[in-house]
Amino acid sequence: MLLGAVVAVGGNNQWASQDSATPLDAAGDVQKPLLREPLECIEIAGRSLVERLVVRFAAVDMVVAVLVEAGTNVPKFRTARENVTVEFVRDLSSAINQKVSDFSQQGIDHAFINCANTYTETDLLDLFSFHRESRQRVTPTYDRQGPLALWVVDCAKAEDVPLETLLRDSRSNAASRYFIREYVTRLQEPRDLRQSASDMLRGRCQIGPSGREVRPGVWIDEDVEIHRRARIVAPAYVGCGSKVRADALITRFSNVERDCCIDCGTVVEDSSILSGTTVGIWLDLCHAVASGNKLLNLQRDVLVEISDPSVLCSTSASRKFVPSASRQREPLQKVSDLQEQRPISGAWQLGNNLIQE
Amino acid sequence: MSTRGPVIVMELPEKLNHAAISSFLDELRPLLEDDRPCIVLDCSQIKDLDSGGVEMLLHCLEQAMKRDGDLKLAAVSPASGVILELMRVDRLFEMFETSAAAVRSFQTFALETTAQSQPWYAAPHGFADLKATG
Repeated sequence: MLLGAVVAVGGNNQWASQDSATPLDAAGDVQKPLLREPLECIEIAGRSLVERLVVRFAAVDMVVAVLVEAGTNVPKFRTARENVTVEFVRDLSSAINQKVSDFSQQGIDHAFINCANTYTETDLLDLFSFHRESRQRVTPTYDRQGPLALWVVDCAKAEDVPLETLLRDSRSNAASRYFIREYVTRLQEPRDLRQSASDMLRGRCQIGPSGREVRPGVWIDEDVEIHRRARIVAPAYVGCGSKVRADALITRFSNVERDCCIDCGTVVEDSSILSGTTVGIWLDLCHAVASGNKLLNLQRDVLVEISDPSVLCSTSASRKFVPSASRQREPLQKVSDLQEQRPISGAWQLGNNLIQE
Repeated sequence: MSTRGPVIVMELPEKLNHAAISSFLDELRPLLEDDRPCIVLDCSQIKDLDSGGVEMLLHCLEQAMKRDGDLKLAAVSPASGVILELMRVDRLFEMFETSAAAVRSFQTFALETTAQSQPWYAAPHGFADLKATG
């Protein structure tokens, strides 16, 4: 039996009646968003949640259709797959309806519909069996926190029914619901990106960081430059093409995504540095999510836009602004050298103070 | 700017960046040159703080401490607090919720240090206590 999956990206998931209210700060003013792109399109430990979902569906030989709201920038998938198509659409709701009827005509009897901001690690085939046994048009899923944006539909029965009606039916008490006990993540606000990265690095979920695990708990992706005096303390992740300069420290479940630069002496602790961000010299970035020149402090729940490029800026802007400390280039360490570092047994030694995980 | 006894309270401008610091520093410099300057900088208006502004605050603190005085910050907004923390200088300044609390902290300190009605060994937990318990 053929199975299909529709992964919907963007549009604030309004079609799924998710709460998409714009956050207000303490004074009641509308907060500027940290990111322009939907959270599911942001790379976390090397891959976006969209790609991780696609990989999960494609792994059980489903025909996967990724429907992206027009104007949304989805990062290129790192692994191309034959049974995955990506389409940009104006109206997600009607495109999902159309895709379900297309599936039905292609002989695909059942399909999963998943908002890309919701990731679950439930057994998909078990969920499908539950849906087939319940013989209903649509099967909704729940976890401890409530309803999830993941449904299984009978394509033939759902073909001519508007999506809104389908989802309303799924919320009725008569519908059998599938309860998910496994790992679930909902990306609803930037804070969830941090939680998701932390979960991956702690090994709380099946998905892990991309790249090579050069030491236990230290994942380094391709083309990374790490200065020999920089420290990466497990668990941590450094993404493609990033640079970690002298005396910088990356520690406590931090993830530095692609094309970032952590300048000399800066400490990144329990933080996510999103792709294309340059962090200046001798800074202390703790419990935060940084993207371009914006910094969200999770402890204080404050979003700060920093106008000073010597402190925080996007990597493209930093090419125009070269801080003095970065001009003195010292020999960089290749990832292969990092792997060869042997753990030092015995006492702490002066001048030999590699931090061990 | 307002003066409350020996403690000077100064309100920092909305923009405390490279462009704005020189004019503000010109205003503050004579106050820093006093003997034992006690200065409270009210940060409630700050909307744009950058590395230049932080450098200026550090310079002022250094100058005040050189002359045996102190510089305290009041009404630091969460956004300014994040920037001070990011630049690792938050722990160098004493911070208070309001200017009044910052001013009081100077006065309390002054009273404690200048009260000389009793010899030092009669102070609570001082030498006299040790003798009594011993």
